[in-house]
Amino acid sequence: MSQKPAAVLVVDDDVDICRNVSDILTDLNFLVDVAHDGPSALEMVRRRPYDLALLDLKMPGMDGLTLYRELRKLRAEIVAIVITAFAGPETVNEALAAGAWRVLPKPVDIHHLLSLTQEVLEQPLVLVIDNDSDLCHMLWHALREKGYRVALATDIPSAEEKLKDHTFRVVLIDLKLPADNPKELFQLVRLTNPEARTLLITGQDSDMGLTIQGALTEGVDAVCYKPFDVQTLISTVQKLTQAPLASDSPVSSSEPSPAQPSDSAPPTHAPEDHA
Amino acid sequence: MNPEEIIERYRDLQRYVGWNDDTPHRIQTIAPLLLPLIPQLVEDFYCEIQRHPATKRVITGGASQVERLRGTLEHWLRELLSGQYDQAYVIRRWRVGLRHVEIGLDQVFTNAALSRLRSGLARGLVDRWTGEAAELLLHLAALHQVLDLDLAIIEDAYQAEYAARLQRTERLATLGQIAGGIAHELRNPLNVIKTSIYFLLHAKNITPEKRVEHLQRIERQVNLSDEVITALTNFARMPVPTCTPFDVVACLREILEHTTALKVYDVIMDFPSVAPWALGDASQMRIVFDNLIRNAREAMLPGGQLTLAVSGVGDRVEVAVSDTGDGIDENQVSQVMEPLYSTKTRGLGLGLAIARSIVEKNQGTIRVASKKGQGTTFTVSLRAVPPPSGGASS
Repeated sequence: MSQKPAAVLVVDDDVDICRNVSDILTDLNFLVDVAHDGPSALEMVRRRPYDLALLDLKMPGMDGLTLYRELRKLRAEIVAIVITAFAGPETVNEALAAGAWRVLPKPVDIHHLLSLTQEVLEQPLVLVIDNDSDLCHMLWHALREKGYRVALATDIPSAEEKLKDHTFRVVLIDLKLPADNPKELFQLVRLTNPEARTLLITGQDSDMGLTIQGALTEGVDAVCYKPFDVQTLISTVQKLTQAPLASDSPVSSSEPSPAQPSDSAPPTHAPEDHA
Repeated sequence: MNPEEIIERYRDLQRYVGWNDDTPHRIQTIAPLLLPLIPQLVEDFYCEIQRHPATKRVITGGASQVERLRGTLEHWLRELLSGQYDQAYVIRRWRVGLRHVEIGLDQVFTNAALSRLRSGLARGLVDRWTGEAAELLLHLAALHQVLDLDLAIIEDAYQAEYAARLQRTERLATLGQIAGGIAHELRNPLNVIKTSIYFLLHAKNITPEKRVEHLQRIERQVNLSDEVITALTNFARMPVPTCTPFDVVACLREILEHTTALKVYDVIMDFPSVAPWALGDASQMRIVFDNLIRNAREAMLPGGQLTLAVSGVGDRVEVAVSDTGDGIDENQVSQVMEPLYSTKTRGLGLGLAIARSIVEKNQGTIRVASKKGQGTTFTVSLRAVPPPSGGASS
């Protein structure tokens, strides 16, 4: 699978160190952007997606942690490594509680940083499409803890954007989304992320029965009913990511499940116009 | 203090209390009446010590230590009554004060214990005295003088040692702070150097331009590290100034000419046509003005207004450096010239502390006035001298 180069955002008010990290990563074929303060970093994040952000904690104006909190609202899938010369336990805990992945003491050992960067890129990307932002954040933390990179979309347009920007391993879809036609959303996933496995989250609303059936015939890989047990959901995601990418045997969650869509099309069965 | 200074101190105090050649003779006269009291005074002394937690606490060696201390006290009392107040006598008193700091015995207990001994001696003397009352009063006065001098020299030693220890502790704390500050300030440039070297060693595609860029960056960061160390040595070892008359206005103009970073600010020079010269070390004062100007600049966004004003005020010449930055929080104004105080994300926090230290060594003063949201003014006041004849300042 040929992948587009990973994008890294380096934010530090020390111009020289930014340039050096940028040169080293660029030489390793990363796309690197550099910002020297929080507001310009946020502007960059608004403009394009990143996989990883290296954030200096102590910067004039907006500090690295405040920056990360803002950045996460824009692109939750960005993994943050916070870098600080003052890595007291309180700072570390605060940063980790805010969702930063690692807190590294300054000066950062470049070998260590490169191996962490590699590790980040190996974390499977998961997209959660759900208009319930509380549920989104709960799932974000739960999945993040298990080593997934998690993108969030609370509406269809942002879901479309995420699907175009990234290659996801699993896409979680809450059917309560006010979509005109959920079928279109699945088709979009197929079109943009043909190798992604899909997991449907739904209430046991009988009105939705038909829609679910429709979705299943579209090739949904698993279904989770609300209220769901987070652990069960996570292990379902784990099964989906562990299963071979082109597998045609759907994984079922341990929740009461509808009839197995045994005759459903395999995920690779994408619409003809797929590029 | 060395032994000569200690003995000189004692002699000076003797004169102060009105000591005369008669005093030792009076002590020798009453000594036979008082020497038999010693065992009883020693006994009472150590009983009392046991009653107070603060004094009991310092006896850590049990009965054998108390036995030794009894001997010491007895010896001390015999010396007190000997009438021989030579250098060795004074030094031994001095050592008592030092020892009390070592074992952590507060001076107030020395005062109290001596008061107790004094009462015991005075009562004993009154009880046994058979001569004239007037003579008794004079003997008692001599006894008090000897005791007061003992107490004074013990307390003097205590205070000197206590202050010295405090200073050592503070110096260690400051050293720790400075070490932390330096570690931080050196780490940044070292990290840049290290990553540049990593790039030069490992990168697969280096253009000649990139190679030069990284080498220049390494050079710049080495210079930065050097500046950190220079700032520190400046602070630690500022030489004694050579104070000569110098032209403050010319000094300021020269600094402005060499400070290219000021281009983006609005610089106002408020210099009188004939300004007094200042008495000071021009090269050291340059460091001060340099620091103040840099500080003002760093407090402002580009476009801010930097004002340099020189004026003669009585026999002083004053240089005011004002910025239109954010000002200093009221509760921080008093701290800004303390060493290692900094609100900046970079810097050791030595600039203003160095400025103050230099100004004071040049017999000047420095003060700060600040209004939140309006700006800050640092004013340096130096001794003024008239400009050389025919010399309007340049």
